[in-house]
Amino acid sequence: MRAIVIEDDQDINQQIVSRLKQEGFAVDSADNGVDGLYLIKEYPSDVAIVDLGLPQLSGLDVIKQIRAAGSNLPILILTARGKWQDKVEGLDAGADDYLVKPFHQEELMARIRVLIRRAAGWSDSSLQCGPVVLDPSTQRVTVSEQEVELTAFEYKVIEYLMMHAGEVVSKSVLTDHLYDDEGDRDSNVIEVFIRRLRQKLDPDDSLQPIETLRGRGYRFTLIPAKTN
Amino acid sequence: MKSIKSRMMLTSLIVLVAFMVLTAIALERAVEKRMLTAEENNLKALMYSVLAAVDRDSTGLSITVSDARLFENALFDSGSGLYALLYDKKAEIWRSLSTDQPFYKLTDLSPEELRFSQIEYNDRSWFQLAFSIRWPNVHDKLSLYELVLWKNAEDHFAQLNRFKQTLWLWLVITVVLLLVLMWLVMLWGLRPLRLIGEEVQAIENNQKQRFDSSYPTEIKPLTQNLNLLLQREQHQMQRYRNALDDLAHSLKTPLAVLRGLSEKSSEWTDEDRHTLQEQNNRMNQIVSYQLQKAAMVGGQSMARPINLVSLLEKTVAALRKVYSHKGVSIELKSDLNSLLRMDESDLLEILGNLIDNACKYGRKQVRINAIQLQQLIRLTIEDDGAGLEPEQLQNILTRGIRLDQTQEGQGIGLAVVNDIVDAYDIGMKFNQSILGGLEVTLEFSNI
Repeated sequence: MRAIVIEDDQDINQQIVSRLKQEGFAVDSADNGVDGLYLIKEYPSDVAIVDLGLPQLSGLDVIKQIRAAGSNLPILILTARGKWQDKVEGLDAGADDYLVKPFHQEELMARIRVLIRRAAGWSDSSLQCGPVVLDPSTQRVTVSEQEVELTAFEYKVIEYLMMHAGEVVSKSVLTDHLYDDEGDRDSNVIEVFIRRLRQKLDPDDSLQPIETLRGRGYRFTLIPAKTN
Repeated sequence: MKSIKSRMMLTSLIVLVAFMVLTAIALERAVEKRMLTAEENNLKALMYSVLAAVDRDSTGLSITVSDARLFENALFDSGSGLYALLYDKKAEIWRSLSTDQPFYKLTDLSPEELRFSQIEYNDRSWFQLAFSIRWPNVHDKLSLYELVLWKNAEDHFAQLNRFKQTLWLWLVITVVLLLVLMWLVMLWGLRPLRLIGEEVQAIENNQKQRFDSSYPTEIKPLTQNLNLLLQREQHQMQRYRNALDDLAHSLKTPLAVLRGLSEKSSEWTDEDRHTLQEQNNRMNQIVSYQLQKAAMVGGQSMARPINLVSLLEKTVAALRKVYSHKGVSIELKSDLNSLLRMDESDLLEILGNLIDNACKYGRKQVRINAIQLQQLIRLTIEDDGAGLEPEQLQNILTRGIRLDQTQEGQGIGLAVVNDIVDAYDIGMKFNQSILGGLEVTLEFSNI
């Protein structure tokens, strides 16, 4: 998952970024509205965290411009004022949720997870596709209630694929959403991780959860238990 | 006396009437005196013409009036109301032919005295001119005689009365005409004041920002100063809010950093971290509460009317987004179009906090209803949550306000709502909802 953090206070910005990285996100960050808007337009991402009181371009204007460009990117606003007028204006401009400073990092993470799930059409807190269940809050994956041991990167791959279960996800999209920097992007690495995931999730080859579509990418084939 | 118009009309009425009455009385007196003088002069002229006809009688010892030398016809005409009588020391010695009733000698003059008087005699009003004359007889002995003229005064008084009637009639007509004229002048003169009233209303209704009609020079300084005042109020409000926003920003961000630090597990013992977080929470709540309280506008004198239902719709739309993952249905029922006279951010604060609470504590359903009841608007917000016990209902407000005792999770929202509700004198009640949860009822009378 890729997140964009736009917050002008260096300390808070860093706290959020390091926490997101800890949670396995690829993170881009900006400390003003203009740079932030550029990041959002240029990099495909899964969620944006936008402070309302930004220099150069206010958070409200950033959100309005993102929505005017037709993007459905889930946006969470941070407000120091805590006034309902700010919250309602932010949500009215197109934000999806708000958080008043100061906040608990856990709360921020929980809200972000909800927003990402909601955007992908999931309503439950855990993702379930057939016998495969992924719990984002604990980052654990079970198959038929048996826990599967995954590395951090393997988890990122399966989370993204399951989040978009049924959709074709190209290698470049996967790398965009999983890698932090441009440098170490190697699509062969993705192939290695997919192969390992197949072995771990489906050792006897009975489920075949991940399908390879030659030249197009991968698809998580198990039917998602989405309620809406 | 509430209006300037009625005050001025009353004063003008008193002044006009007093002036007219005094003028009339003076005029009446002058005319009366003049008419009386005219009567006296007429009688004097008559007196001299009668005197010209006086001569010794045939005996030569006394005098008489020779009718042949009298020219005044009225003295020959019985009942003409004009009579002449001549007396010597003892009795009447001559009377004019017109004299049809007895006239007694009433006067007692000193020699050569001429006396004019107005008297009542035989139930009638008369003018009387009496002249005491000396006349020599044939022996050149001077004797005293008295020549008396009577004139019926009723014509005179009838004429005087007619004059008075005409005078008063015209005075009343003049007063009425002048009052009507004054009324019209006053309407014209007070028009700028009425215009100011209309403009103030337009400013209150947010149809205008300032006084921009052209006013007469006497009122212009007032409207110019009011414009300055309005402008300064708007600027001051803006500056005040900006300053508060800056303060919120500058205080809350360090608090957020402190909180973030306290959550880094390695550097603190569990107990320290807990204390740090607790104190951090409290500082944050106090800062939030005080800032919200200060930012509250509360009963602004020229608050612009805002539409309750459109703000409700905006808030509900925002909260539907926030609570969509919870599957709460927020139902808003109202076809009101009424305007409330209060600050928009204050109203949003009330609606946001109360509806947010309903969504937070409700299970699946939140119901909002606004209706108009005569002079007030009643807004109810209900949820289907667990609700509160009766004693909790009683304490809900006091608990919210006592910040130093609030537990984490009990936001400052309700305390802020309570402050705003107090400032605007809005009624707020908590009850058990038929949906099972809490029902908050607000009664706005500032419509």
